Amino acid sequence: MRQAEDLILRDYIVSAASEINAGGGSNGFNPTNLGTSDFSLVATTLDTNNAYKFMTGIEGMDRFGTGPVRNCYFMLSSTELQSDFDALVGNVGVLNQWSYASNTSALPTEWGNVFNIRILTSSEGPVARNAATNNLGATADVYYNTVLGKQAVTHINQDGDSMKLIYRDEYYSGMLAQNCTLAVRFSQAQAITQDTAIRNLLCTRNSALAA
Amino acid sequence: MAEYSRLAQGSFISTGQAKVIQIPFKPEYIEMVNYTATFEAPTSQAVVSAKWFAAMGQGFAVEQVYDATPDLVVDAVIANGFSTFSAGQLLQYGPTLVVTVVSKAAAAAVTTSTAHGLSSGDVVIFQGLFETSTTGMPQINGIPFTVTVTGATTFTIPWNTNQSNYTAISVATTGAPTVKKVLYPYLYFPGQTFISNITLGTTTTIDTTDAHNFVVGQEVAFRIPSQWGTVQLNSLPNTLVPGSPVYGYVIAVTDYNTVVVNIDSSAYTTFNSNQTVASVPGLSYPQIVAVGDVNTGGVQISSGSQLYPPPYYVPIGTTRVNTINGPAIQGAYVNNTAQGFIIGIGTGVNQTSSVLVGTEGDVIHWRAQLNDLLLP
Repeated sequence: MRQAEDLILRDYIVSAASEINAGGGSNGFNPTNLGTSDFSLVATTLDTNNAYKFMTGIEGMDRFGTGPVRNCYFMLSSTELQSDFDALVGNVGVLNQWSYASNTSALPTEWGNVFNIRILTSSEGPVARNAATNNLGATADVYYNTVLGKQAVTHINQDGDSMKLIYRDEYYSGMLAQNCTLAVRFSQAQAITQDTAIRNLLCTRNSALAA
Repeated sequence: MAEYSRLAQGSFISTGQAKVIQIPFKPEYIEMVNYTATFEAPTSQAVVSAKWFAAMGQGFAVEQVYDATPDLVVDAVIANGFSTFSAGQLLQYGPTLVVTVVSKAAAAAVTTSTAHGLSSGDVVIFQGLFETSTTGMPQINGIPFTVTVTGATTFTIPWNTNQSNYTAISVATTGAPTVKKVLYPYLYFPGQTFISNITLGTTTTIDTTDAHNFVVGQEVAFRIPSQWGTVQLNSLPNTLVPGSPVYGYVIAVTDYNTVVVNIDSSAYTTFNSNQTVASVPGLSYPQIVAVGDVNTGGVQISSGSQLYPPPYYVPIGTTRVNTINGPAIQGAYVNNTAQGFIIGIGTGVNQTSSVLVGTEGDVIHWRAQLNDLLLP
């Protein structure tokens, strides 16, 4: 449900938001795989641009293997990058959400946190297949990770016409009552309300982990 | 079984070039009649009618065409016939083509190993532009470029590769120089575009690598990474109003990839596109970004003009291509997703000088359908 709307918003952001290529990894592609310095760079950029963070921090507690979480922006990523995120665990500033001192505020799709960014993953994250090549001729997929502050984007239901789930049973859907109709209708628009508060962080995958 | 089938029909006057028809579905059956050819005297190689079924495959057609006699015969088109498209998602690419040459020139000239099939105004990205492991032109890998076609296997791109850190691609010893078409580059516009050059002055002239689709009055912002020089254009910080972004306005649109912005950049740092090969992993590119959503206050209406013209994009030169949307305010953000089919310029297998879409001035009637039952 609402997947089509999300894809439209996703493509809009890919088209309209500015990009930063990851350079903190070491796989030799441009962009590189993600390093912790990439998260730091993007968060610094948004901080400098006075973007509002989505989430307040999580205070540390006396629990083994956990740590505090800073105030954070959200980053929307592909689930295909989760193994790369896992490989970052152990670096300073990287926490899987299970290692939050309290994960009551963690979202179901949340992988975890790197510095001032909390990472949400989706199988619909934008990917440009085989769009990067290194100097040995190998190719890699390029992932678009959208990092955004609270004021960055908005979603407008036009004229108050929000999404409608339409169901018509077989007697209303055809003369022979053979088929039902199940549909979703919506009229909507997206807008980047503050362009300085959003960046697409482009990256490839760690070659050692690539499938 | 026709409850959910969709039908559409229409007509157009052929220009002799491939014709894109946008309709609200992706058809599984297409037919066309060249009405002009039906009432003119039979002429060798004139296509009278043609059909296409989805099962034939993209680019095929069966046509009725006059042979040399001229008798009406049946022939097949196996390339550049009918094809369908669904321009709904970004980041879709065409086939990968091997690049054999990229010259050092103000507008780099590219040669592919086989016919590229591109048209001027198409957008491509390059990959693997290494001549050796440490030389070549990887600085422009991944940047979308509008092509100007100069031959079946050649085209130029708007980027100055005639600089010291670029080495011509001629006999690549490592890497694998390739190029591929970006299938739907302008699904959403105006948006973010890469910058190829900045001319400083009392006003600032921006050249982009593909179509910017800006209009006069468009509010714009800049993202210039430090190694590209002109960082003073960046949106923040604003020394006059701390915390406020610095934006510019487009005051003139020269063509598809050149705009003039009302920023006095006379004292700014010179733009530098002579990036080193060593900088490539992690190299970010300079960008100009549309901001704001209502910029020009509407479309100027004059005698004889269309009252509510649809929004358009400009793929090359000053050529306007209307979207199927409308009416809209100039400069406002446009969703250009579309579906439909293309009547190509393919020739017959036997009647090798025939052209499916006809010759300039021919009146073409077409009909397309999507079936709710397709077997097998």
